[in-house]
Amino acid sequence: MSFGQRAVLSDVSFEVAAGEFLCVVGPSGCGKTTLLRLLAGLLPLSAGEIRVDGQPVRGPSRERAIVFQDYSKALLPWLTVAGNVALSLEACQIAEPMRTTRVEELLGKMGLQNAARQYPSQLSGGMQQRVQIARALAQEPKLLLMDEPFGALDAITRQGLQDEVTRLAAEERTTVVFITHDLEEAIYLGDQVIVLAANPGRIAEKIAVEIPRPRSQLETREDRRFLAYRHRLFGLLQR
Amino acid sequence: MSRVGAALFALGLILLWQLAADSKIISPIFFPSPGRTLGELYAQVTSGRLWQPLGATTLRMLYGWVLASFLGIVLGAAIGSSRAARDYLEPTLEFLRPLPASAIIPVAILFLGLSNGMSTAVIAFGSLWPVLLGTVHGFKSVQPELIELSASLRLSRWEVLRKIALPTALPDILAGARISLAIALILAVVTEMQASLPGLGQNILLAQRSYRSPELYAGIVVLGLMGFAANQLLLLMETRMLRWRAAAV
Amino acid sequence: MKGALIPVLLLVAWEAGSRAGVLPMDSFSRPSDIAVAFARGIGDGTILLATWQTFEAALSGFACAAIAGILCGAILGLSPRIERVVGPSIDALRPIPSVALIPLALLLFGFGLTMEASVVAFACFWPIVLMTTAAVRGIEPRLPDVARSLELSFISQMKKIILPAALGRITVGLRLALAISLVVAVTVEIVLNPRGLGYSMIGAQQALRSDIMYAELLWLGVVGWLLNYVLRKIL
Repeated sequence: MSFGQRAVLSDVSFEVAAGEFLCVVGPSGCGKTTLLRLLAGLLPLSAGEIRVDGQPVRGPSRERAIVFQDYSKALLPWLTVAGNVALSLEACQIAEPMRTTRVEELLGKMGLQNAARQYPSQLSGGMQQRVQIARALAQEPKLLLMDEPFGALDAITRQGLQDEVTRLAAEERTTVVFITHDLEEAIYLGDQVIVLAANPGRIAEKIAVEIPRPRSQLETREDRRFLAYRHRLFGLLQR
Repeated sequence: MSRVGAALFALGLILLWQLAADSKIISPIFFPSPGRTLGELYAQVTSGRLWQPLGATTLRMLYGWVLASFLGIVLGAAIGSSRAARDYLEPTLEFLRPLPASAIIPVAILFLGLSNGMSTAVIAFGSLWPVLLGTVHGFKSVQPELIELSASLRLSRWEVLRKIALPTALPDILAGARISLAIALILAVVTEMQASLPGLGQNILLAQRSYRSPELYAGIVVLGLMGFAANQLLLLMETRMLRWRAAAV
Repeated sequence: MKGALIPVLLLVAWEAGSRAGVLPMDSFSRPSDIAVAFARGIGDGTILLATWQTFEAALSGFACAAIAGILCGAILGLSPRIERVVGPSIDALRPIPSVALIPLALLLFGFGLTMEASVVAFACFWPIVLMTTAAVRGIEPRLPDVARSLELSFISQMKKIILPAALGRITVGLRLALAISLVVAVTVEIVLNPRGLGYSMIGAQQALRSDIMYAELLWLGVVGWLLNYVLRKIL
């Protein structure tokens, strides 16, 4: 994938099974954000192809939902929490009264019922990110694309959301592509982890994470398999 | 407590005015007392003499302002959302912005004579800029994440405009509209003075010519009140339309 | 250079339209005649004299407003109590459109420089005092205490500590006021004061010399733009 003269991603090839949780990890500048936008269909490919469910990706689609890192810029500040989630449903042409029911369901699922009438600016970072996730899930996407969604949050909130996302993804059986720069987060969350190297972005290593679910913040991170993966991939990120 | 203090201070100023006028340091022809000024104002209100010029100036101001706001928002939205339009037009707009709107008056008189049309044209031209520039700025500042989101949700161009671009731009549009109204008032008064059109502007100029200073001062008070009322009304509208801003922690 | 395209096209269309007889000479004139009128106006000094007169009024009004405004703004910014007492009175006087004072200034001072400068001063005072109040209020809260503990006189406190700290925002107010000063000066001249560019433009219009009128209008635009540009660089 090239922009003008610069090759941003080169020779990147991988497969994700349905319902799988793929984490892409790499240093800054390795093209992971570009990769995500390619998958979303927001950027045109310069070479190669992307297929989702056998169909080539030609442009953005409601079946591929994005969750951005900067929640303050990705939520509509003039709409309430409920309004923000309803936006997706409106776009998917879901009419009343079904829409209100769905909004309530999703807010309930994300623990946001009490915040329905509040504006995003009144909520903490973690809550705002939950709203974004609720909005993305409202699209009932086949593919959930998450761009370093927890990067701006504190450690405790991050851990809580990590577990919530894995739970939701499993429940809805959504395929997730999760971008992060945090190796441990990637191993903790993923069924598959891809490490990208920079300049140009290319796959340095692909591993399958064979730790059974459900995983736990305390025990899984001390599991010897977890540590083994970590050792294996740690060096790759330093280069 | 401070409210009492503020009221006392204001009363103190008026008292000072009264004392200065009474002492006749400046001739009462130029410097009437607050008593005479307010008396004149009261007489104008009760006799009904105030309403016609007040109405004329207000209507003039509003016509021009509404026209300018409409044009400003439409053009501003078009320019603000199009990179190409901005590249071609922004330098010209930057040049026209510091131009005093009143400088257009001679040109307007040339084309439209000393008429109401001239007045509306000048007011519209002058009050166009703040709302136009505010709108352009507002539409320029739509978050890229929201643009990507609307692409992903496959929103139509019309939906993007209505649901995303316009609400984003609204604070800037309203701020611009408020400044535009202030300018509209100023230009309404100026064009009335220039072309002897009926209204408060003409009234105070005539009052000056015939040395009727209480009338002159009363007219200034009324114009001050008008400016104040217009600004407050728009501020109220702004607060209601932008309720979500007030909610911010 | 894309930005220059539209103005150039307009000028060409203007010239062509005029020569083709589509645009009437009285009201539209044409770019070539305007250029000639401008050159002549510069040559015989009339344009420069008029510009100088306008600037004289604008700058003297601005200077008075700046001194008074910064002083008042500093006092109001430093003392919230005074600000609470005086504030509403300021809010009552501020909405008076400066142009409403034109007949009053004429009554008090007659035609000429003083009258124009006084209207300019009134218009410029408000943005300066408001910005200065905000600027002084916004400086590091301990600075006024530091200044007082050094037992400096009020003037010294102002000069050495308070004003330098607030300078950034004060200059924003000054820039705004300076732009306003030019606009108000020209307005007063157009309405009734017989001096400066505004008066010259109205005179040209009345004498049906649209070429001179447009020349001065464009010159005014250039001058205004230059003023803004210079201000952004030095302030």
